[in-house]
Amino acid sequence: MNLMQSFRMALATIRINKVRSFLTMLGIIIGVTAVIALVSVMQGYNADLTQYYEKMGVNKITVSASVYQFYDSLTLTAELEDYVQSDLGTVAAGVTPTLSTSGTLAYGANTVDTSTVSLGSAQFSVCNNFVLQDGRDIAYMDVVNKNHVCVIGSYVAETLFGSADPVGETITFKSIPFLVVGVYYEKDGSTASSMDDMIVMPYTLNAEVLGSVAVSTYTVKAADATVMDTLYNDLDAFLKSKLDDDTGTYTLKNENSELNESDEEAASLSLVLGAVASIALLVGGIGIMNIMLVTVTERTREIGIRKAIGANRRAIITQFLIESGVLSALGGVIGIILGFIITVIVGKAMYDMILVPNTLMAVGSFVFSIGIGVGFGLYPAIKASGLQPVVALRAD
Amino acid sequence: MLICINDVYKIYGEGLENEVRALNGVSLEIDYGEYVSIIGTSGSGKSTLMNILGCLDVPTRGAYLLDDISVRELSDNDLSRIRSLKVGFIFQGYNLIPTLTAYENVELPMIYQGVPAGQRRAAILEALERVDMTGRMGHHPSELSGGQQQRVAIARAIATKAPIIMADEPTGALDSKTGAQIMDTLSELNKTGSTVILITHDLAISKRANRIVQLKDGKIVGDKVKEELAQ
Repeated sequence: MNLMQSFRMALATIRINKVRSFLTMLGIIIGVTAVIALVSVMQGYNADLTQYYEKMGVNKITVSASVYQFYDSLTLTAELEDYVQSDLGTVAAGVTPTLSTSGTLAYGANTVDTSTVSLGSAQFSVCNNFVLQDGRDIAYMDVVNKNHVCVIGSYVAETLFGSADPVGETITFKSIPFLVVGVYYEKDGSTASSMDDMIVMPYTLNAEVLGSVAVSTYTVKAADATVMDTLYNDLDAFLKSKLDDDTGTYTLKNENSELNESDEEAASLSLVLGAVASIALLVGGIGIMNIMLVTVTERTREIGIRKAIGANRRAIITQFLIESGVLSALGGVIGIILGFIITVIVGKAMYDMILVPNTLMAVGSFVFSIGIGVGFGLYPAIKASGLQPVVALRAD
Repeated sequence: MLICINDVYKIYGEGLENEVRALNGVSLEIDYGEYVSIIGTSGSGKSTLMNILGCLDVPTRGAYLLDDISVRELSDNDLSRIRSLKVGFIFQGYNLIPTLTAYENVELPMIYQGVPAGQRRAAILEALERVDMTGRMGHHPSELSGGQQQRVAIARAIATKAPIIMADEPTGALDSKTGAQIMDTLSELNKTGSTVILITHDLAISKRANRIVQLKDGKIVGDKVKEELAQ
């Protein structure tokens, strides 16, 4: 049997029955579009999340310690800083207490309601992935001497100072003056409520700024992802030696595990969405089978003619399989194009990134839709090939 | 002998009370190059006989040798093969495939025969030339008149050079002038070597053949060559 002619015939049949062919393909189109768009958007969500965590800084361990009054939290802070810096130098990149609030910053007549007023150590920027653009960072001596200094994020700098240089200027928070000693690079779009909407000052000012002396949360940054477990165990051992039932309690949290968890969540969500979309494809396949059965009945006479002039069963099966295969492949291609368009639009709208479905998935969907067409076309094709020419020729 | 059937029965619903004996013990021999018409009223069994001779159907009982091949034991696919090699059909309703052009319709039997693409074109053009349809080979059946469609159907029947041309009421749907042209073409084909078997209910048309086989109630009631008829 000549395949080329079968393809031409199939396309001619599809062209002649435009509306019906389109309706037949609709199931496949919707299925493939859904698979591609949903999976791509999930990948976008995932990438977005990963990006977010990377901006926040990965490889962090959060230490939460609540200390009873007779064991000063600032003492523990000093001990922890000392331990991390002198004993864990190879596995830890830095340590900082983590305290924060929010409020209004003022520079002359300019004000900004900033979302994050952080109090930290000299290693705050290392632990939280901030990079100094201008001036200097919080220094160890600032912490020790409780200097009223601060480093500001790019959004705060732009809002309060416009294009002027903030370094050396004084801003106020809760009417307390702070000298701006440095500015961080933009890392999160420099918009309100972004990670750039921040200011950091020495944590030793906590009593003055927060009205509280307790430091209960610390961030310890590992040198890299491979030493996370070592760091975790070392911190655990250290804190166990410092805090017992009489002095306080503590918990440790590997922040990477949160990233892993959300990865896993995204993966299982992808699976569920993929399954839903696959059901759409399956329904599309049944639609194709349905129409092919109708087609076979309608074209009984044609099948009779073909058999009369010498077509064997295989030739008839091949012809109808190619027809259903072409139909579903066409649906698949349209679905891939639509999925592509939806992915790009949604990616731009939701995550502000150029999302592109991966090629493997596009090729996979295409092959899968042909498979559906051929698979579901098989029964009608076999039915057609089994028609007796005498009976088929008698049909109208 | 090209065709040899011996005591052939075609019985529908055999053993039942209302069994129908479409063919009731028919024996017939047709030699190469003959022009035979099979004539009978509707219900005489002539269509059943044509279906069996054309290997579209197999007899319930009786032997059929086509070119010394016993047809009765053949499978569905083998029958397709035999039809493809031995028989060219011309039907009352033309039976062209509507989605294909005239050229493609003529090409189809050769595709099923497995003739390589390169060798098909010459044969298709020759067949279309013989029925004077080369000028319209790119047209679809819906763009052709009844006579033109039937000529394309004849081209399709002769393109594979099958030894038997089987024509079932070929003029039934045509006006008398066009019908006469088609009958001329059939006579022409017979003169150039094809064995033509013509099935009709029309005595006038059947007289175009050199031999007339008359069928009634599933039996042959007359088998005369033209010279005998003239007397």
